[in-house]
Amino acid sequence: MFALTTPYLWYTTRATGMVTLVLFTLVVSLGTLVANRVGGRTIGRFELNELHRSVSLVAMVFLVIHILTTLLDSYVATGWLSPIVPFISPYRRVGVALGAVAFDLILAVWVSSLLKARVKQQSWRFIHWFSWLAFASAIAHAYLTGTDAKRGVGLAVVAACTLVVLLSALWRFFARPARAAGRTALSPLAAAPAGETLPATSTAERDRAARRSVQWRR
Amino acid sequence: MGVKRRLAAFHLEVDPIACDGFGHCHELAPELVALDEWGYPIITPEPIGASDPALTSARYAVRGCPRQALRLERVKDAESRR
Repeated sequence: MFALTTPYLWYTTRATGMVTLVLFTLVVSLGTLVANRVGGRTIGRFELNELHRSVSLVAMVFLVIHILTTLLDSYVATGWLSPIVPFISPYRRVGVALGAVAFDLILAVWVSSLLKARVKQQSWRFIHWFSWLAFASAIAHAYLTGTDAKRGVGLAVVAACTLVVLLSALWRFFARPARAAGRTALSPLAAAPAGETLPATSTAERDRAARRSVQWRR
Repeated sequence: MGVKRRLAAFHLEVDPIACDGFGHCHELAPELVALDEWGYPIITPEPIGASDPALTSARYAVRGCPRQALRLERVKDAESRR
């Protein structure tokens, strides 16, 4: 089988594995921020959403590098299908299998998001829930397979990622936002004239304010 | 062709059942979308002309909706605001 023998591939695998974990921690936390309707004043909610999307793309790139270098490297033999099919790797069977499960789930989430305009919203949400499972799987993969995740800085990074996502999960599940969480304040419309600050006193006043600023912007 | 294009007008439509009041549309297209006091969108009834810069905002709003509740509909026989 085609394999390269330079040690740098192995180092790249280890390094990108770590970076991918941190990036996906960021993606999951940003997704939680969007879902919990954070933002509106200092940062736009749409900005957090865009960050969530962009960072996930970067994370995917690192994940692909992580997988490709593992496959190309001859130091550990995992087999060409091991990133997709669980439990077929001769090297650290369970650890690599968990990585494969995470990758499969991430692929599902990623593809469904790329096709978001064509996928039914309900299905997209259902698939998106699996990102939690994907992260749990990825964390277990990092602990079981990660050469650097056993001690020192590596362990600290993996532990920090676990903690951040665990807190995100708790926040997401226990502080479920009501359907609507009120106005956001970042837009020029909301910020426009003084005296039109967000906590307007009455419904009528707010509606008048909204109508006025729409007209004013035209 | 070109004439037809220039005369085309669009309107943002919200699916009120899909909308969860995230408010992203209001941030992305403040000139088209106001929010009611619960954070749900109030969309301007006026059609958007094809050459109107607001059309770009409208596209951003459609793309940025976390619930895919917005769509851009072509309006027929409407006076666009160009």
